[in-house]
Amino acid sequence: MVLLRDGMCPGLDEGLVRGLRAADIKTVEDLVSSDMEELAQRCSVSYKALFAIRRVLLAQHAAFPVSGADLYEELLSSTAILSTGNPSLDKLLDSGLYTGEITELSGGPGSGKSQVCFGVAVHISHQLKQNVIYVDTTGGLTAGRLLQMLQAETSNAEEQMEALQRIRVFRLFDVFSLLDCLYGLCGGGLQRASVGGGSVKAVIVDSVSAVIAPLLGGKQNEGMSLMSQVAGVLKTMAKDFNVAALVTNHVTRSGGGGGGGAPALGAAWSHIPRTRVLLEKGGDVRRPGLRSATLIKSSRRPLLIKEEFDLKWWSRSKEEGGGAAAAASGKRKRDETDS
Amino acid sequence: MTSQRRRREEEEVRAEMSESGAQLFARLEARRCLKDIEPRLFPGDGGPQHGEVVELYGSEGTGKTELLYHLLCRCVLPNAAGGLEADVVFVDTDYSLDMLRLVSIMESRLNAALSTSAASDEEACRSCLSRLLVVHCSSSSQLLLTLHFLENSFSSRPGLALLLIDSISAFYWPDRCEGGANLAKQEEKLSKCSELLGRLLRDYRITVFATCHAIRRSYSGPSSSSFSDPDRPYLCRAWQRLVIHRLLCSRQEAGNNMAATAGRRQVLTVHCTSSSSSGTKAHRSSSFYVTDGGVEFT
Repeated sequence: MVLLRDGMCPGLDEGLVRGLRAADIKTVEDLVSSDMEELAQRCSVSYKALFAIRRVLLAQHAAFPVSGADLYEELLSSTAILSTGNPSLDKLLDSGLYTGEITELSGGPGSGKSQVCFGVAVHISHQLKQNVIYVDTTGGLTAGRLLQMLQAETSNAEEQMEALQRIRVFRLFDVFSLLDCLYGLCGGGLQRASVGGGSVKAVIVDSVSAVIAPLLGGKQNEGMSLMSQVAGVLKTMAKDFNVAALVTNHVTRSGGGGGGGAPALGAAWSHIPRTRVLLEKGGDVRRPGLRSATLIKSSRRPLLIKEEFDLKWWSRSKEEGGGAAAAASGKRKRDETDS
Repeated sequence: MTSQRRRREEEEVRAEMSESGAQLFARLEARRCLKDIEPRLFPGDGGPQHGEVVELYGSEGTGKTELLYHLLCRCVLPNAAGGLEADVVFVDTDYSLDMLRLVSIMESRLNAALSTSAASDEEACRSCLSRLLVVHCSSSSQLLLTLHFLENSFSSRPGLALLLIDSISAFYWPDRCEGGANLAKQEEKLSKCSELLGRLLRDYRITVFATCHAIRRSYSGPSSSSFSDPDRPYLCRAWQRLVIHRLLCSRQEAGNNMAATAGRRQVLTVHCTSSSSSGTKAHRSSSFYVTDGGVEFT
C-alpha cells in the first residue's frame, strides 16, 4: 500500500493531495481504481492532469511485463550451478545447487543437515573461490570445524585463511533479526560482502525452522505471515542477485502413518523451495557417517530417488579420490569434468 | 475565455482518451477461443469459454505448475506443432516460474512435431517465447496495480487470449495478518483484484487460469472425517464467484511401498467441477503423469 504524498510525481502538489484525501483517496491503489471523470469533478482539477498523474503513478508502481524470450536469454547468461562437493549429492540435485532457487534440506536431529551445509560452504569458498553468506540460527557453527574441513582440502595455511574469509557468518536467533539481516543483504549488503574478487554465490540459512516454528500454531496469523515474508525476501534475493539459497528444516512425524518423518513448517512452506531433500541416518553401525538422501520435490529429476553418501566426504584427505566437479555453466546440460 | 478554452482542451483530451477505432476493434473482436486448449481436462464438450476462470487447486507436488506449463506450451507453439499461436501473460506471484523447465518442455514438443535441425529449433523456440509476457508481483497491492497496467496490453494486443496466475493464494497470509481481526479488511485486497479481473474478463473476453495452493494437508484415514474438508475453497467470496471451473489436483498416496514406486512415474489425478450458469455442476476425472517432455495423460 503506497500512500499518496506530494512530490511523488510531477503535478501532484500538496493542494491536490489534500483534495484527494478529502475525497477519500489516500493511496495509489485508490487513485488508480477510481473513476477519473468523477474524481476530477469532485476535486475540481482538470481531467487531463489527473489522467497524466494516474499514468505516471501506474508506471512507477506496477510491475513491468517482460517478454519470455528476453527473460530466457537473461536466465541463460546468469544462472550457474554450484556443486556441493559431494558427487552423490550432486547427482541427486541434478549437478548441484542452482542459483535463483531455494533448495531445502530436511532431516531429524543428527541427520547431518548442518554438516552438509558446512561442507557446501567450504567447497564453494575454497574450490569455487566464491563468497558465501552463512546465517546460523542454531548456534551450531564453529570456525574450528570449518578449518578442520579446509585442512583436509589443502595444507596451505594462507589458502585456508582466504577461504575462511570468504565465508561471512551471521548469528541470529529470532525471526525479526533474520528479516533485518536478509533485507540488509538485499539492500546492498551482498555487494559489501563480496570480498577478494569473487561475488556472493550462496546464502545458507541453518535453520529456518528454528526461528519460524515457535511462531506457528494456534489462532494467530502473524507466524504464517512472517514465514511468507522470509520466503519472499529469500526468493527475491536469489533471483535478483543470482545466488543459490540453501535452507534447512526439521521433520515432524507425518499424520497419516509411515515410519519416516515429513518436513516441518506445514503445507504453506512446502510450496516455497524449488527442490527438497530429506536426509536420514544410514542405519549401519560400522559406518556412522553414512546418510541417505531422498529427493522429495524436484522439477528436474524423478521423485523419491535415493542416494547414499558419507558425511566424512568433506573431511577426507585429498590423496584418495579425485577433485569434485567444477561449477557448471549456464545451460542445464551437465558437463562431465570428473578426473 | 479561459474557461471556454479549458473546456475545449478537456473535450480534446477526452476524445483522445476514448478508444480509437483500432482499439475498439481489438476489444470487441473475438479473442482466440480457448475451448479446445485441453479437452481431456474438462467435462462435456470442451474447456473454458470466453471470459471464464479456471482454478487449479491442490497441495504441493500435485502437478499444478506442470499443468500450467502444458497449457502455456499448447498456446504459444505454432499450429504445425499442435499449438494455438495465441499470446499469453504469466503473472508470477511467488517466483515459481522455471523458465529452463518450460523451455525444455517446449523444445521436446517442437522436436517431436517438427523434425528440423537444431538451429531452426532455436529460432522456433525464440518465436514461441516472444508470445509470452512474464510479470512478477510481490504483494497484492502490486498485483492490483499490475492488473490495471496490463489493461493497456490487453487493449493493444488482440492476440492476448490467456492470463495465467501462479499463484493467486501467494498473498493470503500477509493479507490476513495486515487485516488484523476484521475479516472484511483481510479479504479487501483480493476482493478488489477479483473485481478488477471480472471487469477485464467482461471487457476483453480473455480466459484466466489460476493456481491456488492448499493450506491444509489432507490426511487419509478415518480421522479425516472429524477435520474440515481440506479442499474447501478458502479465498475471498469475490474470487469464488469468479471461478467457473475448479480443478482439484491430487496425488495418489504411495503408502508403504515407497521403495517400489521410487523412480517410477507418479500418477496424478485431476477432478474437474464446472458450474454452469443454470446452477448445475458437471464433473470429470482424468489422470496424468509428468515426464521430461511435460504432462502426459493416461
